[in-house]
Amino acid sequence: MLATYLFFGLALLAVLGALGLILFKHPMNGAMSFVVTLISLAGLYALLSAKLIFAIQLIVYAGAIMSLILFIIMFLNIQERDLPIDSNRWFYLAGGIIVVAPIAGLMIKIAKSLPEEHPELIDGFGDVKTVGHLLFTEWLLPFEIVSILLLVALVGAVVLAGKRGVN
Amino acid sequence: MQDIMAILPLLATCAGAILIMLVAAFETFRREGISILGIGLFAFAFFVQLTVENSSPIMPYSAIFNGMLVTSTFTKAAGLIILACGFFSAIAAQTYFTQNRWFVLEYYCMMLFAACGMILMTMAAELITVFVALEIMSLAIYTLIGCDRRSVIRSEAVLKYLMLGAFAGAFFVMGSVFIYAGAGSTRFVDIARAVSEGGFIANPALVGGSLLIMVALLFKAAAFPFHAWVVDVYDGAPMPVTGFMATAVKTAVFCVFANVLLINTELRDGWVGYLFWISVLTMFVGNLIAIGQNNLKRMLAASGIVHSGYLIIGLVAIGSDTVSNGAVIFYLAAYAASTLGIFVALSYLGGEDEKRIRFDDFNGLARVRPYSAACITIFLLSMAGIPPTAGFMGKFYIIAGAFKHGFVALGVLGIISSILSVWYYLRLIISMYFREPQEEFGVSEMTLAPLGTFALAAAVFAISFIPVVI
Repeated sequence: MLATYLFFGLALLAVLGALGLILFKHPMNGAMSFVVTLISLAGLYALLSAKLIFAIQLIVYAGAIMSLILFIIMFLNIQERDLPIDSNRWFYLAGGIIVVAPIAGLMIKIAKSLPEEHPELIDGFGDVKTVGHLLFTEWLLPFEIVSILLLVALVGAVVLAGKRGVN
Repeated sequence: MQDIMAILPLLATCAGAILIMLVAAFETFRREGISILGIGLFAFAFFVQLTVENSSPIMPYSAIFNGMLVTSTFTKAAGLIILACGFFSAIAAQTYFTQNRWFVLEYYCMMLFAACGMILMTMAAELITVFVALEIMSLAIYTLIGCDRRSVIRSEAVLKYLMLGAFAGAFFVMGSVFIYAGAGSTRFVDIARAVSEGGFIANPALVGGSLLIMVALLFKAAAFPFHAWVVDVYDGAPMPVTGFMATAVKTAVFCVFANVLLINTELRDGWVGYLFWISVLTMFVGNLIAIGQNNLKRMLAASGIVHSGYLIIGLVAIGSDTVSNGAVIFYLAAYAASTLGIFVALSYLGGEDEKRIRFDDFNGLARVRPYSAACITIFLLSMAGIPPTAGFMGKFYIIAGAFKHGFVALGVLGIISSILSVWYYLRLIISMYFREPQEEFGVSEMTLAPLGTFALAAAVFAISFIPVVI
């Protein structure tokens, strides 16, 4: 029962944080409300007994990535007058809701079709050892090619941000 | 031994990319050296792919990789097209950078990484692997578009593509999640089993998941509701990159599309009705956009949308027999040869900072550079589908496949669209042959791109003789 209340509380917080992200005018407020979403997602993972993902969500997303985003916003030093005037935002928001509504209907249908019963968790579900074992046996190929992806991202960032004028 | 042979092209491109990345750090290698190295590595990978012998599908290292990679004649043909596109784009880039002074040493490295991601995409038989491969390709392409930071138009293109591409990626992941919820696995074989046991329409999670994956793939393939980015992004990208995107990326995406539809016939039949309308709208909307363009690059981008429409006709009939599968890959090869040919030609005719880009800029090209004009004419006729070019044979196989499977309306609409497209292809031919030249079309240095153009013009005829046997 407690888990159900916790779920609804965290889910509500996550949605409110996401709404804040798109509705706040200043990027700093948006980033702060995004932190709320990330932390409530971590709570949802904990409710699902995914211990490792819970820790990674807090350390990597809510910690490392968010502080990078905040650094960038502070570096750019965005003031109220730098922000564009978007007078049509409510219009666009309404249009977006109309477009997305059928997809939301589909999502609800999908969620209802999923099985209700709770399967028994295997021993050590969601801890480092089990996840690591799965990652290095069953999911070896995606794990390996992610290293190529990271390399591409690294080189790409250097190319896009590096010094100009080599010829 | 057979396992390592099957993934050797993948390893060759990846190792080549890392080699260029390392070599670019040394002072001794400058633009010319790196260009030759990049072209050479693409040629090497092409020949490696050519030597791979796999008449029946192989799962390389099925115990270690858990059957997540599958190579077959289909992936071999796709790999050959992708690497050939990379080779000719690299040749185009070599020439392009003699006239556009913003070369970055990692340019060829990113091209090889993109090719590596594309080959991986064609081989992947599991949704997470497809997603990671898709992102490898996309990240490399974003970087290639945005290499030249001085230009505002490039920044605009890369921002648009990055934002919309991120959306498409998110849709793909969300779709994979739903498919996992519906089928209990993301491997294609397990999805096929789940569909054949539990049915497709009866399982909303599978329907929703495959819908989201279709959206992502249609976005990457530039099909109708998601085509709006194409014209701006292709126009903003540097010429050789546009050529590479228009051909190699499209090949990779359509191979994944075919792989996903081939998972199970029931899954395919569930979507065929919608793909019918998407292909019709893609063809006609693409034609409408292309007719209105005065800029050659934008016209080619819009015609790329039209060709996506023809390829979706091919997908509608896919999986029912071997000829239909071959028709898609044949069309991709034919389209790649002619489109890339034009982009290679434009890379050296475009001049400094791509100053010649409008139809009027090519007035009288045939008087000054008759051979280049003849090649461009061949490419345009092939794209319009005039016999005896490869483009005609490609359209013939695709439309014949549609007729054979009872999609008569689709075949007829394909022919009408192909007639409409002659309008904007002929426009360039008319300005090249029937107008007075206004300039010299001078090329500053001795370069490889004219040779590449002639090779591709020969390929347009050569490809049309390849029988569809896949």
